[in-house]
Amino acid sequence: MEKTIVARTGNEAMAEAMRQINPDVCAAYPITPATEIMQIFSSFVNDGLVNTNLITVESEHSAMSACVGSAAAGARTMTATSSQGLIYMHEILFIAASLRLPIVMADVNRAISGPINIHCDHSDTMAERDSGWIQIFSENSQEAYDNMIQAIRIAERKDVSLPAMVTTDGFIISHGMERLETYPDAEVKKFIGEYNPPYNVLNLEKPITVGSIVLTDYYLEHKKAQHEAMKNAKKAILDIGKEFGKVFGKEYGFFEEYKTSDADYVLVCLGSTAGTTKAAIEELRQEGIKCGLIKIRMFRPFPAEELAAALKKCKGIVVLDRSEAMNTQAGPVATEIKAALYDAGIAKPMHNYIYGLGGREIYIEDIKNVFRNISKDTKGSNEVKYLGLKEA
Amino acid sequence: MSTKPNIKGWKDLNVGGVVESGTSEHFHTGDWRSKVPVWQEKNCIQCMNCWAFCPDHAIKVKDGKRAEYDYAYCKGCGVCAEECPKTTIAINAVKKDDPNAKIDSFDGAKNPTFAEKAAILMVSLKDAKEKFGVK
Repeated sequence: MEKTIVARTGNEAMAEAMRQINPDVCAAYPITPATEIMQIFSSFVNDGLVNTNLITVESEHSAMSACVGSAAAGARTMTATSSQGLIYMHEILFIAASLRLPIVMADVNRAISGPINIHCDHSDTMAERDSGWIQIFSENSQEAYDNMIQAIRIAERKDVSLPAMVTTDGFIISHGMERLETYPDAEVKKFIGEYNPPYNVLNLEKPITVGSIVLTDYYLEHKKAQHEAMKNAKKAILDIGKEFGKVFGKEYGFFEEYKTSDADYVLVCLGSTAGTTKAAIEELRQEGIKCGLIKIRMFRPFPAEELAAALKKCKGIVVLDRSEAMNTQAGPVATEIKAALYDAGIAKPMHNYIYGLGGREIYIEDIKNVFRNISKDTKGSNEVKYLGLKEA
Repeated sequence: MSTKPNIKGWKDLNVGGVVESGTSEHFHTGDWRSKVPVWQEKNCIQCMNCWAFCPDHAIKVKDGKRAEYDYAYCKGCGVCAEECPKTTIAINAVKKDDPNAKIDSFDGAKNPTFAEKAAILMVSLKDAKEKFGVK
């Protein structure tokens, strides 16, 4: 297959994926740093490069509501947002998931107010981790582009039928220009295939009620059905990641392992920090510290068993959390990993750092230091540490 | 007539919990009723207001004319009595002041003047059963 090599920012890459996906409907509201995605996409609409009905609305709450309406009418539906926009969608996110509408959203990670801040952290996505959406993180523009294409297939698969969000790190990926390999329109179109919606509220031949009240008698059963769909999403993500590899040359799974096979210490993180960590690992290995990285790609559903198995051999674990859970016990990622290890009967020293909140820079040296710290500590620590904190 | 959904467990639910049309036929709102509307055919002018305003399908139509209630679908909301042009304003006043206490005094069977004017009136379920033979 002939790939085109271009220079693109994360936002441009996601907009390009949306152009190739050519959704029936997009309903969106602008918000930094995701604005560009829909801005670029709106020019595609204007230039007739897509057949999309672009609905401009007055808020993100309305954007997601319009997406729910459109998806319930059987249209392939997409949107993009960030931070306050995502959390303003909060109540409709749960509805989209419970109605099993495979809406795909680009979410550019940005800190949540307050204090008000426009830069990257993962607080927005983590605030919606229980909404029932599939959550896929990207390390760079290429992954953002690839993940958008795969997310359509994952979300729309019959045994899944759940909405999915693909995230990039605000400004770091969204506005950083990188090398991007794009695939021919026809190949992407072939890969995503025709959309066969789970139901269609506008089908007059078969009238249905969508969103009816379910009280004490069947609410529990509805949630169980969603739970099973989320389990199926795990399988779908693997299957489609493999198929994507066969067609486009890069295979995707639940997480990426980097030099973990002989690693004494493994660091777990999400998003662009994985790139920084890879550079730190190269340098540390020169110093004789055997370290490796696990970059989680799929956060919802959470690959607990697989992660526990991957972390089984190492001597110590570092978990970097780019958001706060405010439970004073662990960040959102570390909480999940601790639970996964407990279920697998694995107890290991673990250091959990909160870092990069509100776009605070993380340097190679910071990551080298967290590896050095865990290599000297054999007991681990339950204390949540703040990385790069100004103490005085 | 729609088919009654056969939902036993979570696996029987439609994706997203969507419901096929016409299933309200299987839902007997009459179970909730504490007051019952009574129709007096001799006073009815066939305006069909009650049929148009009934939020369920309690009012049956036969040969283009209003027929007897289907009480299985009547939750006793009283919209029909409210909208009936042959009901006196007295019943509205009493309903607003005290919906239960004085119902007997506006009972069509006991109040000949009222009975003359009312096509539809709301009475308690107990009274209806006893005096009008409604089940």
